[in-house]
Amino acid sequence: MKSNWLVWLIIFTPIVGAFLLPILGNFSKILRNWFALVLALVSFILSLILLPSALSGQFATIQRLLPLGFNFTFCADGLAVFMALVSSFISAIIIFYSFDYIDHYENQNEYYCMVLLFMGSMMGLVYSGNLIFLYVFWEITALTSWRLIGFFRDKEYVIKADKAFLVTVFGALLMLVGFMLLAQQCGSFDLSTIKEALKTQPLSGLAVLLILAGIFSKSATLPFQTWLPDAGVAPSPVTALLHAAVLVKIGVYVFARLFIVVMPLSQFWHVVVPAIAGLSALIAAGAALIDTNLKRIIAFSTISQIGFIFLGLACGNVIGVTGALLYILMHGLAKGGLFLCAGIVEQNTHSKDITKMGGLIKTMPWTAMAFLFCAFSIMGIPPLGGFFAKFMVMTGSVYSQPLYITLLFLCSAFFTILYLFRVFNLVFLGNNLIGPVKEGSKLMVACVVLLAVLSFSGGLLIKYPADVARTVAQQMLGTVK
Amino acid sequence: MNLLESTLALIVIPLIAGVGALFISNRWQRAQSALALMATLVSFFITIILFKHNFIYSIPWAGLGINFSIRLDHLSAFILLSTGFFALSLAIYCSVFLKDKNYARQFYSYLLLSLAMVNGAILANNLVLLLFFWEGLLLTLFGLISIGNPDAFKTATKAFIIIGISDLCLMIGIGLTGFIAGTLTMSAINLALDVPAGLAFILLVIGAIAKSGCMPFHSWIPDAALDAPLPFMAFFPAAVEKLLGIYFLTRICLQLFQMQAAGWAGITLMTVGAITIVLAVLMALIQKDYKKLLSYHAISQVGYMILGIGTGVPAGIVGGLFHMVNNALYKSCLFFTGGAVEKQAGSTNLEKLGGLGKAMPITFACFIVAAVSISGVPPFNGFFSKELIYDAALERGTIFYLAAILGSFFTAASFLKLGHAAFLGKNQTAAANGGNAVSEAPWPMLLPMLVIALLCIIFGIFNYLPIKHLIEPALGEKLLEGHSFAGFHANVLLVSMTVVVLLGALLNHWLGVRASGSGLKAVDHIHYAPGLKQIYAGAEKKYFDPYDIGLKLAHWVATAAFWADRAVDWFYDKFSVGAAVAFGQGIRRAHNGSYVTYLAWILVGALLMVTYLCW
Repeated sequence: MKSNWLVWLIIFTPIVGAFLLPILGNFSKILRNWFALVLALVSFILSLILLPSALSGQFATIQRLLPLGFNFTFCADGLAVFMALVSSFISAIIIFYSFDYIDHYENQNEYYCMVLLFMGSMMGLVYSGNLIFLYVFWEITALTSWRLIGFFRDKEYVIKADKAFLVTVFGALLMLVGFMLLAQQCGSFDLSTIKEALKTQPLSGLAVLLILAGIFSKSATLPFQTWLPDAGVAPSPVTALLHAAVLVKIGVYVFARLFIVVMPLSQFWHVVVPAIAGLSALIAAGAALIDTNLKRIIAFSTISQIGFIFLGLACGNVIGVTGALLYILMHGLAKGGLFLCAGIVEQNTHSKDITKMGGLIKTMPWTAMAFLFCAFSIMGIPPLGGFFAKFMVMTGSVYSQPLYITLLFLCSAFFTILYLFRVFNLVFLGNNLIGPVKEGSKLMVACVVLLAVLSFSGGLLIKYPADVARTVAQQMLGTVK
Repeated sequence: MNLLESTLALIVIPLIAGVGALFISNRWQRAQSALALMATLVSFFITIILFKHNFIYSIPWAGLGINFSIRLDHLSAFILLSTGFFALSLAIYCSVFLKDKNYARQFYSYLLLSLAMVNGAILANNLVLLLFFWEGLLLTLFGLISIGNPDAFKTATKAFIIIGISDLCLMIGIGLTGFIAGTLTMSAINLALDVPAGLAFILLVIGAIAKSGCMPFHSWIPDAALDAPLPFMAFFPAAVEKLLGIYFLTRICLQLFQMQAAGWAGITLMTVGAITIVLAVLMALIQKDYKKLLSYHAISQVGYMILGIGTGVPAGIVGGLFHMVNNALYKSCLFFTGGAVEKQAGSTNLEKLGGLGKAMPITFACFIVAAVSISGVPPFNGFFSKELIYDAALERGTIFYLAAILGSFFTAASFLKLGHAAFLGKNQTAAANGGNAVSEAPWPMLLPMLVIALLCIIFGIFNYLPIKHLIEPALGEKLLEGHSFAGFHANVLLVSMTVVVLLGALLNHWLGVRASGSGLKAVDHIHYAPGLKQIYAGAEKKYFDPYDIGLKLAHWVATAAFWADRAVDWFYDKFSVGAAVAFGQGIRRAHNGSYVTYLAWILVGALLMVTYLCW
């Protein structure tokens, strides 16, 4: 089939292109920047082309049989295409924003190379149908994120980057052991083979635990969460990439892929996972209310919101999973917007301490409004997109979880309103404590406004994303009519 | 236009006008107000046409039972009509009030957008659609308050947080209701109040009463009275939020759930209502600002409506809904008079006002009509709705009746004080107004006041008009059990009690004025009564503000969470690093190059192997 080639192109265009960027950068910066954007858009547009067939149940697949179960398998099902679309789209906006943001700094060639490699390995990860290749791409993202977090070469920044790398790789190694246990039990690393095999045999609890450790470390969930706020030392587009588009969504994706599609969890885990996620959401939300560093607060917010996504996925019913997928989309748009706004604020005030800002709405009204609307989306206020995502996740939780889990998340949702308003009021309203600050460059402001507008229209035109997410959720749960 | 188109127009017209208003510069103020007038006039006209029509319409929306489903029935048509009327009055009033205000553009825009969402919420026949519009109001609420004073954003945040949190409860309640009922379509839900449904009921009620400003979700309203633009107060807390909240409460109690008159649900609602009546009116009594005093009454009056509906008996429900309309009328009229005073006299601080009655006779007349209506003086409208509620409350428990009648006493007392302090007494307003003499408000501000004051009288004397045509059809024959509640109330005992209480309030005022020598200090003997004095002092310092208490609590939880997070971080940053270093050093010490030590290690290793093999 022709569309199989598309899968190749989606994955390897950004990965191969990433290594061309530094060469190109030596000739022309502008050309390199636009080429990077085009590479990201190629993945997005090709994934978009795959969407109709993926939704209708005809998946484009690539399979090359290799010895020892290391089959080279890629499969574009609904979930993979959905994740690829979200990631590549938000990455493209972030790359566009970087044109101006990263312009002030050194090592730009490295930056663009790493970002594209990062995104390309995300594409490889979501499409891969084999645990080993999933693991390989997983580790490439760890490597690139290590380099990107330590982009500013100060010693303390590099230490934070090391921390992120060590924690996620430690989790990944545990996960690899889990994969091996699975392969030992089922005789292959191929997801489709594992799926068939597990229909007759019970799933090993130890393997689940090990894989969960990997997932939680990547998605910065309790007890592996603290590297994510520390990673805020990275340039703002990188943090946006980590939080909104690529890194933390990997863990969520693998959870959805393995524990919903391939090997549905037993009832026990359906309570344990939401309980951990709920605790993680609450602790992070509380920490966000206390911390005073702008980027750390938004990072805590991500940890908290990831908990909601896990809740939706762990519900195991259509409405919960649909909600979780919408949450991935809406949170990606809004959180990307928040971080990019934070980038503008940080770059123009040279500060991250929210207690020393104030009154910025007067000089940077566009950034302030974009920030406010992205914040509304994360709070789950209609008509923004976050509302539907939150409603569906919470409803899914009401359907299938014990009530105290829902109430735990309700508390986190309260805190979300509190801490986001605290940030907004301290940074943009009140008295100016920091002196004259100018609005960000047109290109950067355009990016944040675009994200805010998308969050807004995502809610008004909820029918389209919701239809896609619902179809994907039904596919995942095996309830397609 | 057919029915569907005109119904959708109720949402679409204010929406388009609201977005359009954002693009009209403040230099074109006439265009702004003309747009608002046109949009509200057309919507009001449509609500009249739609009145007494019934239909349901539904199209798929977000899937999974979430449809764009709207329903027009007697109840929603009645609330739409009222909302449309108040929006039109406000638009007329604002055409003068907002002149030269730099926030006019935003105000008109947010107002119209709010109207679109209010209409949407009233029409919604799907719980999620209702929540969509209902919670969407948060955005315009935040905008409307924050355009007031420079510091108004703090109040706006407070309002947003209080209502946002209650809306999240509503969200869970809707999820739970949909789960139990198996559908999200409101017209198809009718649940018995058993254990899980009871929780859903409570969560939905929290959303409804928080929107209507009931305690303990009230504390942003007095703050907003000082910070937000005045027309906001006249439209939102005084009228529309009550209409919306009580509308949804009626739907919850009568249609979504089978609330029994004798069940726990009714008792809970009545208790909340009774507490709200008494506590809020006690706070209103001691206020020294025109707008703030009114804002506490806006809270107190909602207690009567909740009490009335909570009784679960027909008289109470009819009374509650009738009181909702009456309250919206006289309360918006009162706020309009407050706005006229603010605009003409330059202040709403009662210590700076006085003797305005001569300069602003029409405003004063409207104030008198609205004040006697809210105090429940026969034959004005408030009297009739309160009598119905008294009747129902007495049937359900004397304590509820006593709370209600006590509330009436203080209501009357505080309006005697307010009227006396602002409109009678020594004329000292010229000083507050920068030395200029005060004149009567311009006619576009007087017109809505006069119309509404007239309606207060008509709804009193000819109370069969609203009761027979608006309220009773909305509730339906079945609920009313064949009774009709129009006409003069027959219970002589209740009426005489009311009269006695009102005369008592008058006597109290007279005594207070004689003792203190001024209308403003007429209730000082209550304010500074032993025991009450300390409580009042605490309340003035906001010790009892549920919002502040809640924030403090949230801060404690957050601090605990923060340290939990730091503890985990310590594990990675300090403990694991330290453990690795310690382990490395320990191992290094073992590798000291001494031949004897290595031999000892080999021996130990060999012994362990042998033990393992022989075991």
